[in-house]
Amino acid sequence: MKEIDELDLPGDVYYSSDHEWARKEGETVKIGISDYAQDQLGDIVFIELPDVGTVFERGEEFGTLESVKAVSEVYAPLSGEVVAVNTDLVDAPELVNEAPYENWIIELRPSDEDEYDELLSRDDYLAVLQG
Amino acid sequence: MTSEPMQPARTVLYDWHLAQHATMAEFGGYQMPLWYPTGAKQEHRAVLTGAGLFDTSHMAVLTVAGSDARSLLQHCFTRDLRRCIGASPGPLTTGRCVYGLFLKEKGTVLDDAIISQLSEDRYMVVVNSGMGPAVSEHLGAQQGFRVEIIDYSGRLGKIDLQGPAAALVLEAVLAEPDRVLADMIYFSCKGDIDPAGGAPVLLKNGTPLLVSRTGYTGEFGFELYLAVADTVGFWEQLIAAGERFAITACGLAARDSLRTGAVLPLSHQDIGDWLFQNTPWSFVLPWDEQDGRFSKPFIGAEALLGSSEVDYTAAFAGYDPRKIPVMDNTVVLDEDGEAIGRVLTCTTDMAIDRVGERIVSMATADSAGRPPDFHPRGLSCGFIRTTRQCRSGEQVRLTDGKRSIPVEIRQDIRPDRTARRSMREMRNQ
Repeated sequence: MKEIDELDLPGDVYYSSDHEWARKEGETVKIGISDYAQDQLGDIVFIELPDVGTVFERGEEFGTLESVKAVSEVYAPLSGEVVAVNTDLVDAPELVNEAPYENWIIELRPSDEDEYDELLSRDDYLAVLQG
Repeated sequence: MTSEPMQPARTVLYDWHLAQHATMAEFGGYQMPLWYPTGAKQEHRAVLTGAGLFDTSHMAVLTVAGSDARSLLQHCFTRDLRRCIGASPGPLTTGRCVYGLFLKEKGTVLDDAIISQLSEDRYMVVVNSGMGPAVSEHLGAQQGFRVEIIDYSGRLGKIDLQGPAAALVLEAVLAEPDRVLADMIYFSCKGDIDPAGGAPVLLKNGTPLLVSRTGYTGEFGFELYLAVADTVGFWEQLIAAGERFAITACGLAARDSLRTGAVLPLSHQDIGDWLFQNTPWSFVLPWDEQDGRFSKPFIGAEALLGSSEVDYTAAFAGYDPRKIPVMDNTVVLDEDGEAIGRVLTCTTDMAIDRVGERIVSMATADSAGRPPDFHPRGLSCGFIRTTRQCRSGEQVRLTDGKRSIPVEIRQDIRPDRTARRSMREMRNQ
């Protein structure tokens, strides 16, 4: 397991306390899981993705990640409609372990811009991890 | 002993695991590695394609010695020691090992064990983590047997070296590899855990050890026992000698998925404090082929034969890697949606996948149907306990109320396992 100071926590994404990250790209936001989350889960062997067009509320479960350890839900850090899912992960779920910030899981069109500003900065997220 | 909360114990390899950044968890009262940064998937696969190294020093080792040692074990163990070796079957003899159970009077499982005969009247009994005191007490409580029972818990290191390259790795560090390995058949052992014991097996550096051709992965390999003080050095020697075979340190997650794919039970999870009946492991009972009775009396036998309650344990495999979390509300549903039981184990064997109607393993020969470019996604697998018998091939669903996965009842899970391959073949690769 990685020590907290070994975690990759880039500053160009924003985080949720459930260990998802969100990155604004124009009108939409890509969502994935943090390096901390993938390290805790261990090898991810299966991903269940939502259908494009599904609408989620902030905090709602949008899919599951199956690791060798457990079945874990992933939660929408923002409310919005799914405009794309990363189908590369269907055949290669391990990409999330290998590069968690390149391998986004879903892309949302947010329904409430203010929610993005309520996410955690890198430093705030680090403080959450340090407890 | 104090009344302080019990701190998990550490094996002698604990610092090595931490230095390798293993993800640790408590298991059986010990802090153990779940996986290393390699990841459980690659660790699992290393045991099918090369070699894996497991710290199993948490397991408990007893010896039972004395003029009544054999009759005590015959009274307490489910195998008939007069007829448990080979096809004939013949008696347990010095240098042979046998797997079975210790049952309680009511026919429930105290623990499972491998018993190895070390000499004419001395036996090594290896049981699960933390079970040394309970099994010692159980054996010691039987009246009228002149035996000495020694609990070696905490005094020995134990390392499992498993995988098709295991003999090649081990022979690089043994002082006399040909003498030790040449005729070493499945479920046999050489050397001793006590330096005073007979016919020692030595490493090149003179360290004595016990080499047992057994394991808990379904794959070819060894369980290796030696003094605590020699364990870390030996582990590092094996890692160095195994480098060219891509030897991989493996944690408990890989151990669990490997044993499940090999249809081996985890004591206190798949077998435990309930009646031992109608399981995939009924070969451990001393069935008398002629009349469907037992060939000897033993503790628990009458309860097994006289029971009126009936349940069934069966193995299953799914169709993709998805697991079901094993919780109180996890149930097995039959084709009509009736709840017929519960899930004991559910994990993912990461070295197998379905190819048409069959399950194929990374260890399946291409001539036996492994497709070129076989990249298994893994299949969920495990054991269920049901109130009615499930037939092989039957489709059932496992659900925790939220997720529901279809699985197939099976006699076996991961095909083409290497555990029983000949030593000659494995040394001449």
